[in-house]
Amino acid sequence: MNTQQISTKQVSVKRYLPDSSAEPYWQQYELPVDDSTSLLDALNHIKEQLDSTLSYRWSCRMAICGSCGVMVNGIPKLGCKTFLRDYDGDIRIEPLSHFPVQRDLVVDMEIFLEHLAAVKPYLIDDNPVKSYDPQAPETYQQSPEQLARYKQFANCINCGLCYSACPQFGLNPEFLGPAALTLAHRYNLDSRDHGKKQRMAELNRHEGVWSCTFVGFCSKVCPKHVDPAAAVNQGKVEAAKHTLIALFKG
Amino acid sequence: MDKLSSQRLPPLKRNWWLKHRFFKLYMLREATVLPLVFFTLCLLAGMVALLQGAESWQGWIAFMRSPIVFVLNLLALAASLFHAATFFVLFPRVMPLRIAGHSLPDQAIVAGQWAGVVAVALLFFWLLGRA
Amino acid sequence: MEKIAMNKHRSQHKQAFDEPLWWGLFSAGGVCFAVLLPAVILFIAILLPLGLLPADALSYERASALLFSVPGFLFVGAVVCLPLFHAAHRLRHGLFDISVGNDALNKKLMYGGAALLSIVALGIVVAGFFS
Repeated sequence: MNTQQISTKQVSVKRYLPDSSAEPYWQQYELPVDDSTSLLDALNHIKEQLDSTLSYRWSCRMAICGSCGVMVNGIPKLGCKTFLRDYDGDIRIEPLSHFPVQRDLVVDMEIFLEHLAAVKPYLIDDNPVKSYDPQAPETYQQSPEQLARYKQFANCINCGLCYSACPQFGLNPEFLGPAALTLAHRYNLDSRDHGKKQRMAELNRHEGVWSCTFVGFCSKVCPKHVDPAAAVNQGKVEAAKHTLIALFKG
Repeated sequence: MDKLSSQRLPPLKRNWWLKHRFFKLYMLREATVLPLVFFTLCLLAGMVALLQGAESWQGWIAFMRSPIVFVLNLLALAASLFHAATFFVLFPRVMPLRIAGHSLPDQAIVAGQWAGVVAVALLFFWLLGRA
Repeated sequence: MEKIAMNKHRSQHKQAFDEPLWWGLFSAGGVCFAVLLPAVILFIAILLPLGLLPADALSYERASALLFSVPGFLFVGAVVCLPLFHAAHRLRHGLFDISVGNDALNKKLMYGGAALLSIVALGIVVAGFFS
């Protein structure tokens, strides 16, 4: 801890220990904080010094791994990117909304991973390399302009905050959701990819792009400023174009 | 241990949108269509009145002057402007426009749409506002 | 435990080929609602009933001439019909948001209602044109 002003703050955590009790409950912790204390620091302090039974996910502590998502006073945030200096009163920590809770702050992200897999989030090549010459390997060429078209959407760290923010996903977990639809769009925009048609069946259905009503909260909470709402709604334009073309082709 | 049996996923409550200012504004934005529908029905009534003759037309104008109708249509005017404000900022995100390889800045697209609103108002003034 | 199958199942889902139509009408209606309706409401629901327009601007004769014409037909399309579909789309999704009713039925009610009122509105213009 550095030598800045140290004070104490109270943090309330929603506990859920299915082995001992069927119902969740709130537990308060009082801990020393200073200007640099992140929520993740606080959770680590709680686990190390106050209560080793607390469970939560974390890894990089620098907002790139996407592991430490939690609800802070009802807003989805990364623990490592949330600072206790910004909170004067209550600090209520809960597991990410709209996902089943396994234990304390640990949620089951399986549905998110399924939706991600469903949109084929990888380069699809219509000309797979038939022979490989190590002396003259074929590489993709991509200009900075081509990169710029999809780069923002590629910054997604799969943290899932957008799913907690999205009321449409909350109402219907079968909705593919912001991140999956954004990554589909990211690959559709990538000049190296030829998989748009293959992805379209997933996108152009009710649980694809058409469940989105542009609430836009996903983009507000995204820690990497990906703007998933823009990507999903641009996806609607693409799905509409595809439908029009399919109609004319008969 | 069976992972699934101990999981909790409480269903989303019907008042989910009351929980945060952002969601309340979303619902307000969506609700702008309610005053719009009221105005549209008034307009339809006016068209029928016009079909029926001069007296009906004057009667309809008097109807539009009655306090409750007038206030509701004032609300419709406010709703149309609030809708415009929220709609115009969404448009560049849905269809980013590019000219000569550069994307137009969002503010330009928003300003352009407001210019359209003003242009329509000027057109109406030219059509209906001159003696 | 289930494994995530990368190449599984899901393209057995049918595509929703009608949704782009409703969304397209919603978008077009949204543009009209935002750009046209403010001026229309201002002039027809505020200035006209208050008597603030010049005397003959919207007299029975002038209003009939303006409405029961080809431009009047297009005007009704842009100011009544498209915004009605915009409203229908928002109401349909709004009902889903507050978990009221069933989406399949709400689609029929909302889009059906918009279609019905649109036909009535356009029908009035045609009737006036030929009378």
